[in-house]
Amino acid sequence: MSDKIGVFVCYCGGNISDFVDVEKVKDTISGEEGVAFAKTNMFTCSDSAQTEMINAIKEKNLDGIVIASCSPKLHLKTFQNMAQRAGLNPYQYTQVNIREQCSWAHTHNKEAATEKAIDLVRAGIAKTRNSIPLNPLRVNTVNQALIIGGGISGLRCALALSEMGIFAHVVEKESKIGGNLNDIGIIFPDHKNGYELIEELEKDIKKRANINIYTNAKLIKKQGSVGNFECDIVSGNEKLTLNVGSIILTTGFKPYTPEPNELGYGHPNVITLVDFKKLLSNNSKKGELIFNGQRVREITYVYCVGSRESTKEDGNKYCSRYCCSAANYTSLLAFDIDPKLKQYHIYRDIRTYGKYEEYYEENLRRGALFFKYDEENPPDISSKGERIKILVKDRLIAKDDILIPCDLLVLVNGMVANENAELNNILKTPIGKDKFYNEIHPKLRPVETVIDGIFIAGTSQGPKNISESVTSSMAAASKTASLLIKGYVNIEPTIAHVIEEKCTGCKLCEHSCPYEAISFVNKTDKVIADINPAICKGCGGCVPDCPEDALEVLGYTHSQINSMIDSMLLEAKEC
Amino acid sequence: MSDYKKFDALVVGGGIAGMESSILLGDMGFKVLLVEKESSIGGKMILLSKVFPTLDCSSCISTPKMAATAAHNNITVLNYSEVEEIKKKEDSFTAKILKKASFVDPAKCTGCGQCELACTVPLLDQFNCDLIPRRAAYIAFPQAVPKKAVIEKFGTSPCTFVCPVGIKAHGLVSLSRSGKFEEAYLLYLEDSPMVGTLSRICSAPCEKRCTRNQLEGSIPIRNIKRYIADKHFESFPTPQKKEPKNILDKKIAIVGSGPSGLSAAYYLAKKGYKVTIFESSDKLGGKLQLIPEYLLPKNLLDRDIEEITSYQNIEVKLNTTVSSLGKLKEDGFEAVLLSTGTCHDKGEYPDVLKQKNVIDAISFLQNKESYEALSSKNVVVFGGNNIAMHCARVALRHKANVSIHFEKDRIDMSASKKEIDDAVNEGAKLVLNSQLDKLENADFIIYSIDPKPDLSLLKGSELESSSLKVNEFQQTQIPWIFACGDVTSGHSNILKAISTSKKAAFYVDLFLNNIDLHSEKFDDRLPAVKPNEIKERYNSSFPKHMQFLPHLRADKLSLEEIEQTISEEEIKKYATGCLDCGGCSECHQCVNICPANAIDFSIRPVNYEVEVDTVIVSTGFKLFDASKKEIFGFGRFPNVIDAMQMDRILAPTRPYNAVIRPSDGKVPSNIAMILCVGSRDKKVNNNICSRVCCMYSLKQAQLIMGALPVADLTIYYIDIRAFGKGYEEFYHQAKEMGIRFVKGKVARIEEDEESNLNLFYEDIEEDGQVKIANHDMVILSVGLLSNTSAFEPFKDLKLDSDEHMFVKEVDENIEPAKTSIDGIFVAGTSTAIKDIPDSVLHAGAAAAQAAGYISKKRRGL
Repeated sequence: MSDKIGVFVCYCGGNISDFVDVEKVKDTISGEEGVAFAKTNMFTCSDSAQTEMINAIKEKNLDGIVIASCSPKLHLKTFQNMAQRAGLNPYQYTQVNIREQCSWAHTHNKEAATEKAIDLVRAGIAKTRNSIPLNPLRVNTVNQALIIGGGISGLRCALALSEMGIFAHVVEKESKIGGNLNDIGIIFPDHKNGYELIEELEKDIKKRANINIYTNAKLIKKQGSVGNFECDIVSGNEKLTLNVGSIILTTGFKPYTPEPNELGYGHPNVITLVDFKKLLSNNSKKGELIFNGQRVREITYVYCVGSRESTKEDGNKYCSRYCCSAANYTSLLAFDIDPKLKQYHIYRDIRTYGKYEEYYEENLRRGALFFKYDEENPPDISSKGERIKILVKDRLIAKDDILIPCDLLVLVNGMVANENAELNNILKTPIGKDKFYNEIHPKLRPVETVIDGIFIAGTSQGPKNISESVTSSMAAASKTASLLIKGYVNIEPTIAHVIEEKCTGCKLCEHSCPYEAISFVNKTDKVIADINPAICKGCGGCVPDCPEDALEVLGYTHSQINSMIDSMLLEAKEC
Repeated sequence: MSDYKKFDALVVGGGIAGMESSILLGDMGFKVLLVEKESSIGGKMILLSKVFPTLDCSSCISTPKMAATAAHNNITVLNYSEVEEIKKKEDSFTAKILKKASFVDPAKCTGCGQCELACTVPLLDQFNCDLIPRRAAYIAFPQAVPKKAVIEKFGTSPCTFVCPVGIKAHGLVSLSRSGKFEEAYLLYLEDSPMVGTLSRICSAPCEKRCTRNQLEGSIPIRNIKRYIADKHFESFPTPQKKEPKNILDKKIAIVGSGPSGLSAAYYLAKKGYKVTIFESSDKLGGKLQLIPEYLLPKNLLDRDIEEITSYQNIEVKLNTTVSSLGKLKEDGFEAVLLSTGTCHDKGEYPDVLKQKNVIDAISFLQNKESYEALSSKNVVVFGGNNIAMHCARVALRHKANVSIHFEKDRIDMSASKKEIDDAVNEGAKLVLNSQLDKLENADFIIYSIDPKPDLSLLKGSELESSSLKVNEFQQTQIPWIFACGDVTSGHSNILKAISTSKKAAFYVDLFLNNIDLHSEKFDDRLPAVKPNEIKERYNSSFPKHMQFLPHLRADKLSLEEIEQTISEEEIKKYATGCLDCGGCSECHQCVNICPANAIDFSIRPVNYEVEVDTVIVSTGFKLFDASKKEIFGFGRFPNVIDAMQMDRILAPTRPYNAVIRPSDGKVPSNIAMILCVGSRDKKVNNNICSRVCCMYSLKQAQLIMGALPVADLTIYYIDIRAFGKGYEEFYHQAKEMGIRFVKGKVARIEEDEESNLNLFYEDIEEDGQVKIANHDMVILSVGLLSNTSAFEPFKDLKLDSDEHMFVKEVDENIEPAKTSIDGIFVAGTSTAIKDIPDSVLHAGAAAAQAAGYISKKRRGL
C-alpha cells in the first residue's frame, strides 16, 4: 500500500499539452487520497526530469509514483529504472497513458480530453495506492543459443556468437546448409558466387568447437523461458534435447513464384530473375548468352512481380527491396557476357538505393532502355512461338504503346515469407501483415520479438539483401550476447498468482493458458492450481476463467482493478 | 572521467548508432567510453520531428536511448569533446581526446536555463538548422543529455583581445545592444576604473581591430562606452561609498596619483587591502589634469576619481611628498607601489630655449591664466607628441596663429593620428623637418619634449639609478617595491598606465599572499579568434551595417567638449552591427544570474589520453548544402528551405510553434517538395542515392497535411524509393491523403514579388513538357553525404574510404562494420547512408564485431 504518492504529468513538448490542459490535470489530482506531491514536466523522460524525480522521491520519502505521459510500451521500463535508482520498488510505479489514449485521440476537444486525462490519472493513483512491492525472478542463463535456419544469416550469426564465446546450435531443415545462397548465382558487390560465400563460412565453422550444425533438422518442442529454453529437435533420425538461453530465427524467405499466366509465366521463354541468374552463372559460351540452345539477343525485365500489389486482393503489398538492385546488377552480368544484348527494363520506380544507383547508371550507359509502368496498366505480354511480345505504354516520348519483342522475358520476382507453420505453432512468434516475423519496434528493438529470448534476423523479418541480412543477424548475435553474457536474466514478476484459500482445484483454468504454465499440485488438504513463474507471461487469460476469483495477476490484482474502476466512476457518482 | 585511463571500447559519436553500440557493449559487461562532439548526445535523430514509417515521435524514441546511455553503469559519456588522434599501441589503441571548454561546471549546473535567458549574444542555432538564433550560453535542446549548459566561445573577440587593460569591449557592446547600460558600467568596473576618462581619450585599439573595420567601418565602441559612462553618471552623480566584503589587515602605499597610481589603488582596494595614496600636489589625477576641457571635461575626471576614492579602504594624502621608501616600510606598509610618472628636467633644455618667450608644454597646460595673451599672436609649438597637439589646440581656441614644428617626418611624431589631424583641421600649420634654432616670427614658443621618469624619490635608496627597472611582474630589485606607469615605461599613454598598474596590483596581491609570482598567469584570455574563422561562420556573407560618423559640436573651436554623446537609439542601432566574433562576449550576465554558481570562465580545454582495446567509429553523416545547387535559390529566396529545416519546423521543440514560411510568417497553402537535391546528381559530385530522402519527404508531406489540412502539396520526384519494411504501404498512405506526385526534374526556381516561387520543371509523365508551377514554399529534400571527420583521428593508421568518402567496409556481405584496420569498426551512416532501422541494426553488428574482437584477443588468439 502506498500513501505518499508522487504524481508527474508530462507536456511531452506539446504532444500532450496541445490538447490536454496539463496544469489543470495536475491541480485537480493533487488533492487525491494518497497524493503527497504533484508536478508537471516538459519532457518527463528527459535526463534532467528523471534526476528531479529521483530527488523528489528521496526528499519527500515517496512510496509510490504515477507518471501520466505516453504509452507504457515506450517508457514503462525507463521510469521503472528511474524508480529503482531512487530506491523505490519499480512495481509501485504506474504509467498512465494520456497521450496515445487521450491527447492524440481527442485533438478536437481539449476540455473533454482534459477531463478524461484527470479520470485516467485518478485511476492510476488508485492502482498505485493498492500496489505491493514485487521482486523480479532471477533465472540463470545458459550460454548457448539455438539458431533456426542455416542460410547466410544463421551461419554468420553462429560465427559471431562463437567469437563472443557463446555456443551456437544451427538447425537447418534441408540436407545442406546455405539456403537461398546456394542457387543465387553471382552476387554484388564482390561478384562472388553465392555458394562460395557459404563454403567460406562452412570452412570457418568447421574449425570451431562451439558451433554445432544439424541438417535435415527441425524444432519439435520448446519448453522453458528466456535464458533457459529446453528445445527438442530431430536431425535426420536422431532426436535430441538442447538447453539454450535464446532462440534466433533466421528462417529466410522463398522467391515469389508467379501464378500461371501471370505476365506470361508458364511460357518456356518467361523465367524468373532467380532462374535467370542461374542461367547466367551456368552460361559457358563466351560472347553469347544461350537459352535452351538458342542465342539470346533481346531481354526484357518486368519489375515488381509479386511485390507492391496494392490493388490485388491478398496481394503482397510490400516492396521486396532487393530486386531493383539485383535486376540491374543481373542486367550488367548479362552485358558482361554479351555487350551487344538489347535489354529493356519495364519498371515502376527504380529503387537502386544508396550506391546500388551505380548499377542503374551503368546500365543506362551500356544502352539498356527503361520504361515506366503503373500498377493499373501493366505491360501486355503475348507470344508467338518462342518470341515474346510486350506492349508497354511509353510515357515519355511517344505517349503511344510501344511493342518490344524479345527472346527472353525475365520476371523480377520478389521475396515472400516462409510459412513455417509447425515452427510458429511451437514458438508462437508473432507474424505481421506481410507474413514476415514481426519485431517489437523497428528502431528501438528491431531483432526482438514479444517473446523474451526469441530473436528474428535476416529475411525472416522482411526482405533484405545479403549484407543487410548478415548485418541484422549480427545485431541479433549482439542482443543475444548482451542477454546471456551476464549469466542471468530477470523475469517480470507481473504474473498470475493463485489465491490458495479460494482455489477449489476445479481445473477450469488449465486450458485457458496458452503457454501451459498452469499445473496442479497437492497441498496439505486439497489439490490446487500452481503457476510456473518462468513460463507465465502474465497475460491474464486465466483470470476470468476462474469461477472462484482465485486467480489474479500481480500488479493488476482484484483490489487494484476494482479501485481503478471505483475512482473513475467517482465523478459519475458525484453527479 | 579522470578516474579512467583504460576502457574496453571507444565509441566516437553519440548519435543513434553510437548509442546503440555503446548500450549493447555495456550490457555485455564491457567498459565503454562514448565521445560526442556536441554538448548533448542524440545526434541528428533527436532533432527530427517524427520518423517513418511508424510516425513515432522521434524525441520519444531517442530520449530513452539517450537516458539509458547516460545512466548505464558501464558507459562513460564524454560530451563536448573530440577525438583528435587514435594510434596503435602494441595490441591496443591509444586515443587523444580534447574536452572543449564549456565554461560551465557540469557538477554544479542544474540545467535550469537561466543563463540562456540572461545571455546577450545571439548565435545561429545549429539545432534548429539556423532558422532562429540561440544564445551563446545554451542547452542544446530541452531533451539534452546531459542537460547542462555550455557557453560557446570560439576565442576572445579581437576588440577585447587587443585592449591592453583587458576591458571586455565585446561584452560592453552586447550589453548595450540589449539596453543593459548599467550592467555594462558594472562590467567595465570589473576590469578598469576611469570609465568616463577612457571613454573620451582612449585611443580605442578595439575599434581598429573590430572585424567590421574591414567592412563598412568599426562599431563605435568608444562612443558606446561614452554613453555607458554618461548614463551612469547621470543616474549617480556621486558614487556610493564602497566597502569590500573582507578588509584585509595589510597596508600598501602608492606614491603618485596619476592614472597608474589611481588605478592600482582601485585594483588593490577592490581586493580589500588598505591603500594609502601619497600625492605631492594638491590634486589627484597627475597628467590627466593637463588634458584640456575640449577633450576631457574636468567634472568627468573628478567623477572617475571619486569612483576610486569612494572605496573606504583608500586613504588619500595630498600635498605629501614621500622622502624615504624605508620610512614607508617602518610605517607598516607591506608593499609600496611607485607610480610617480614623469616630469620635465629643465636642466636638459637646449640653450636656445632659455629665452623669455619660451614655455614648456606642461607649464603651458597648467597655467591657464596666460592664455588671454595669446590672441592674434604667432605661437609655435615645437614637438610631435600628444601634449604638443593639446597645446596647439588650446592656443587655437584662444585665437592665436599656431604652427606646429617638428624636427623629423610626420611618421616619427608620437602623437596619435587623430590628434594631429584634428589640430591641422582646426587651423594649425604643420611644419616638418624644422629646426629649433631657425624659428622666426614666433611670439611664443611652446616646447614639448617627452617628459622623463620622475625618479627623485629613489635618491639615496638602494634603487638609485638613471632608470627604474622592473621585472615581468612590475617588481623592482627590492621585492616589496613594485612600480607601474610612465615611471617605468617612460612617457606613454593612459592605456599603458592602467594596464601596468593592473598587472602590478595582480602581483602585489600574490606577493602579499606569499604565492610564487611565477605560479599564476596575469592575462589568461583565450587567443583572439581569427578573421577567417569569423568569415567561415558567416559563410562570407556578413549582414550589412552602416558606418559610424562621430557627432561633433558645430563650433569647432569651442572651449567645451567637441565630441558629443549619441542617443540611446543610435547606440543600439550601431551595437547590433556587432558580429559577435568570439561567440560569448563575457558580459558576465550568466555569472551573475546562475543560481548554482556553475559558470567559470577560467575553465580551459582538457586533454585526455585513454587506452582502449577497440574503437567504433559512428560519426554519422553530413547534409548536402543546398546553396551549392544554385538553381534552386536556397539562401537567396527565404521561402526555399531544406528538409532538415522543415523537420525542425514540424518537431515538438519547433522554432516557430507553427508551420509558417520564413519570409513573412504566412501559413503556406501550396507547398512543393523537390526530391534528390544533391543526390543522384553528378553535377554536385554525388551520383549515388541518399536512400532516406524519399521516405523522409513522404513523412514530412503527411505531417504537413496533418498540420495544414487545406494546403496543396506536390512532390517532384525521379523515383519514389520506398523499399523498407512498411515503406511501400507508407507511400500509399501518402497518395491516399491527396499528395500530388509529379515525376520530373525541376530545372530552376525564380522568386516573384510576393516571395512566392515559380518552379520550371519537366513533367515526364505529361509528354516531358517544361511547365511552370507557382508555390508559396519549397522544401528541398537534400541528400546525405559522408562526414569526413571520421578519418581525422587516423593519422599514422590508415582508415580506408570508399569512392564516396565513406568509411570502407572491407567485406560488406560477410563482415559488416569491419574496416581496413583490425580492431577498428564502423557503425551506422559513417559507412553508407542508412535509415534509422538499418543504422540501429548496423550498430548491433558493430557491437558484435567489437565484442568478438575483444573476446578473441583476451583468449589470446
